[in-house]
Amino acid sequence: MKSKLLIALLLILASSAVIAGKAEDQQIKSRQSAYGFAGWNLGKIKDQVVDHPDTYNKDQVIAAANAIAAVANSGLGALFGPGTDEGTGWAKTRLKPEFFQQPEEAKKLATDFNREANELAKVAAGGDAGAIKTQFAKLADTCKACHKSFKIKE
Amino acid sequence: MTFRIKVWDLPLRIFHWLLVAAVSAAFVTGELGGALQDWHGRIGVAVLGLLVFRLAWGLVGSHHARFSTFFPTPGRVRAYIKGEWQGHGHNPLGALSVLALLGVLATLVSTGLFANDDIAFEGPMVGLISKDLSDQVSYWHSLIFNVLAGLVVLHVAAITFYLKVKKTNLVLPMLTGEKRLPHPVPEHAKGAGLIGFILVAAMSGVVVWIVASGTLLHILQPAPVVPPAPTAAQNW
Ligand code: HEC
Ligand code: HEM
Repeated sequence: MKSKLLIALLLILASSAVIAGKAEDQQIKSRQSAYGFAGWNLGKIKDQVVDHPDTYNKDQVIAAANAIAAVANSGLGALFGPGTDEGTGWAKTRLKPEFFQQPEEAKKLATDFNREANELAKVAAGGDAGAIKTQFAKLADTCKACHKSFKIKE
Repeated sequence: MTFRIKVWDLPLRIFHWLLVAAVSAAFVTGELGGALQDWHGRIGVAVLGLLVFRLAWGLVGSHHARFSTFFPTPGRVRAYIKGEWQGHGHNPLGALSVLALLGVLATLVSTGLFANDDIAFEGPMVGLISKDLSDQVSYWHSLIFNVLAGLVVLHVAAITFYLKVKKTNLVLPMLTGEKRLPHPVPEHAKGAGLIGFILVAAMSGVVVWIVASGTLLHILQPAPVVPPAPTAAQNW
């Protein structure tokens, strides 16, 4: 009887550890997807307003900017739960543990990104390629700022 | 009585100070990244051109610019340590430092060509390798930069040591091209001259263009890169 109880307890413990790991891995996976998707869209905007302005297509740039803004407005903070500086999503996470030691700084960098992403969507709707280029640069700087502080290089 | 001798020809001096400026600019833009990342790539590829130029000038430049003149063979290094070395260009230890600087810089530039910043910049040769490998190479790129920074510190420290302790100004000759000696020195081989300089510079420019324009990538990998935007057939 006792040993059965012990086994049951062990099973529950083991599975909860797996499930707990799963919840964290799922957050990591989702944020990797979110940033990867944002990066794809940012790349399209850069291609059309910076690298090959002759290919500028207003609708495509609007679509891409809206997609980035949607990512920014989706509540990404929920994907940075405690303990998610360890674990594996699509790949081993690159979140630095410092993220949890400097919550103020993390919040500032994240909201900077949100603000510039929404501004880019607004500017894109205006259709002025020059203004989009300027706003693209502002947004890219917010990506860099956060990566510099909280994303592991290796 | 002092005699002036020519140690560094004009193309070499121009190369040297352009390299200082370009590497400093690459450092600043690399650290800042973001919107400046494009400039980082452009400046880095310009450094590639400077390195190609230096390589060629090390073959056809004037006497003291040539690798064969200053290559630090074990014999030369031994002679220098015993105090028996009698040259006027790079001494064997300085030559080691120069070759190390050029070698590390070449590695740094080469890795940069395959690097990406995970935002909106990719080196012009990224198409040849996988994203995972490019991420790895980007990491090496930042590590190798630290090696370069260490060598630069050593380089500047050595020059300061010569200035303060050995009372020899090495910076002035790199500006004027001349050194003053208490005795005359026989004439040395002249450099390739203006036409040669123009040819070597043009060749370096062509290398830069081939790399930066993606032509090299297309030669090595003719398959088209996936288009980033929806195609007409699939514009949903
Ligand atoms: C609040 C901080 C923050 C901001 C802002 C931010 N990132 Fe990131 N980014 C990260 C972190 C942290 C990771 C690593 C995620 C992980 O591995 O768990 C990451 C990972 C990535 C990745 C790799 C995804 C993968 O496949 O693993 C890309 C691409 C990326 N970011 C692009 C961007 C772009 C583009 C922007 C701006 C439009 C941006 N990021 C803004 C923090 C940020
Ligand atoms: C003189 C030559 C170069 C120097 C001194 C240099 C230096 C640097 C430095 C200091 C960084 C920042 C590293 C960090 O954040 O820790 C960097 C990043 C980077 N460099 Fe260079 N670089 C050079 C050439 C190049 C070239 C030729 C390219 C490509 C064309 C390139 C592409 C990149 C990329 C993509 C990054 C971002 C890597 C990342 O964010 O992970 N670099 N470089």
